Amino acid sequence: MPVYDSLVTHTSAINAQLARYGVKFGLYKNGEFRERLFPFDAVPRVIEADAWDRLEKGLAQRVRALNAYLADVYGAKQIIADGIVPADFAFASSGYLPQCEGITPPGGIYSHISGIDLVEGQDGEWYVLEDNLRIPSGASYPLVARDLCRRCDAETFRGHIMRDNRDYGERLKAVMDNVNCGGINVVLTPGRYNSAYFEHSYLAEKADAVLAEPGELFVEDEILYYRDAMKRHKVGAVYRRLSDEYLDPLCFLPESLIGVPNIMAAYRAGNVAIVNAPGNGAADDKGIYYFVPKMVEYYLGEKPILKNAPTYLPVFDEDREYVLDNMERLVVKDVAEAGGYGVVFGSSMDAEQLEHFRQAVRTEPRRFIAQEVIDFKCLPTLVDGQLQPRKADLRAFVLAGETTTVWPSGLTRYAIDADSSIVNSSQGGGFKDTWVLSR
Amino acid sequence: MRILSYTFETSIEFSSPVHDHDFVLRCMPRTRPGTQTVLDAHVMIAPNGPLGKQVDGFGNILRVGRARAPHTTFAFASSGMVVVNGEVGTGDAQQEAWVHPVFLQPSKLAAADEALAALATSIRYSVESDIGLDDDAESRAWNVALALSQAIHAQMKYETGVTNVNTTAAEAFALGAGVCQDFSQVLVAACRSVGIPARYVNGLMVGEGATHAWVEVHDGRVWRGLDPTNDRVVDDGYITFCHGRDFLDIPIERGVFKGNAAQEQSVIIRVTDQASRKI
Repeated sequence: MPVYDSLVTHTSAINAQLARYGVKFGLYKNGEFRERLFPFDAVPRVIEADAWDRLEKGLAQRVRALNAYLADVYGAKQIIADGIVPADFAFASSGYLPQCEGITPPGGIYSHISGIDLVEGQDGEWYVLEDNLRIPSGASYPLVARDLCRRCDAETFRGHIMRDNRDYGERLKAVMDNVNCGGINVVLTPGRYNSAYFEHSYLAEKADAVLAEPGELFVEDEILYYRDAMKRHKVGAVYRRLSDEYLDPLCFLPESLIGVPNIMAAYRAGNVAIVNAPGNGAADDKGIYYFVPKMVEYYLGEKPILKNAPTYLPVFDEDREYVLDNMERLVVKDVAEAGGYGVVFGSSMDAEQLEHFRQAVRTEPRRFIAQEVIDFKCLPTLVDGQLQPRKADLRAFVLAGETTTVWPSGLTRYAIDADSSIVNSSQGGGFKDTWVLSR
Repeated sequence: MRILSYTFETSIEFSSPVHDHDFVLRCMPRTRPGTQTVLDAHVMIAPNGPLGKQVDGFGNILRVGRARAPHTTFAFASSGMVVVNGEVGTGDAQQEAWVHPVFLQPSKLAAADEALAALATSIRYSVESDIGLDDDAESRAWNVALALSQAIHAQMKYETGVTNVNTTAAEAFALGAGVCQDFSQVLVAACRSVGIPARYVNGLMVGEGATHAWVEVHDGRVWRGLDPTNDRVVDDGYITFCHGRDFLDIPIERGVFKGNAAQEQSVIIRVTDQASRKI
């Protein structure tokens, strides 16, 4: 009898609690923004202890290499000079911000909180599908869910068969403390109308940080301050849940009304750590992804532990020929789009669409990458009272503080339809808890 | 070579008091090896307050600050003395050897559309067939840029009030009119479309009563200045402040404040040649 048998009987109670907490997900569909509940499936993803050990090593390795790349691409640019990453790819990505050139973030850390999306192939091998180094969201979902599961069904958790994941807040605090330039820790939220507001407030509470809206922060004499009703407090580290372009109207989009003017000046002066660093998009672009295993070898002198899905860059002649010849069985991704948008499976296209995409790849090769479709494992998921297989991925959270560690948990997302492999929450899937077994 | 002294004063009058006014100023020259040596430079602001000095991602000097208390005037005065080298192409070839690829890519305000790219292509073709391909690459790139600058100057009319700071190169080119920002962005976009690295530059110019904008192109060795608005090669009458992909990277003044007020800006600029100054 699986250990979660008793737990799944509480599925609807847990979902009702999640709804009460306002655990929601915002999504765009047909040009409209809607919020919806993020369905929870109580059947967890279970990862064996030794499989996790390997995964953990691979994830930490990958993030150490990505941090080294970011320091390089905004600094010496050695990897480009050495011809490992072509200049075209390094600087043509929309996430590369020349405004961040020459800035060394406190502690030299760029990606403090990385969300690495992986799938487990039928061959038992884990494949990285995407690195998210900007403001990866979702850690609060498994945290809240675990908490509710424990409350509904304490018995299942009594034996400590799975590793405790409730220390995420402490880990987050340690990451902020590690780079804090003197002052308080703040979680910066765009505001209560943001679809991830629940997560922002939840994480602030768990990490013992102040939750601030942009209007409560200001910069004077190159120092960032938080203003409460009584007085102002110097801010030493800010975990901002606001994307780069809206962060500072005096540095990025001038029309941004939600940013903190001159926060970049405080950052440039070395008076505040911004978590994650602005400009990280230079390393999590879909086109840069191809080069990450090479970065591991280049910067760390190690063999990459985790695999990429086999990827082709149409910009290279040989790859382009392959993509054009095999498009009907590849997945083609538009590098400019995020969140499951701009992802097209060749197998789902008719002849006309295939030709249209072939043409697009010929005219704008830099815009696309193509990948082999990974046949990844399904997880049992409770659908209409029956356990049914659903495709599922895993977002692992890698935290770079004094050392780079992986939170022994993660966000497992599953596809809502039996025949879909797109598990991105923006596309309407649900989530599961992720259990890392103790031994 | 000339020694130029400059004063550049900007005053912004608000129709009613504003407060919590954060700003970034890009109003100072920096030393550029081989072409420009700054002997002296300072900035004053009113209302008075701390004024941070920083360097942006392109290497330009920034002055940052905040006028918290309510005020109806915000003013800054930048002055100093600069030695400018008049000969073209005297930049430090070693320092300037590596060209940042962003200066080859279209940017928000400096992207060529079909019409502008067509002009650039045809001019490159005619220049290259004229001078012959055995000419060295440096003078080829420079000659193409020069011809493009002349063509844009000839096709566009200098006219104020028909464009604004957000007008794109393609829009200004289609309109056939604009100010120095537009002329420069059109040239930048045209050069990039035929593979010549180009960047947008601002600063001061002898005899010009406003801040000026022009272009630098990289000839494969060094950056060289071109002024499409005046159809001339940048010489020792120009003091360079900043460079970027286009105007959006390097506005002289950018600010956000609280308060609902109309603003009016006045500028006084004096650039004096120290050698020819009457004592």
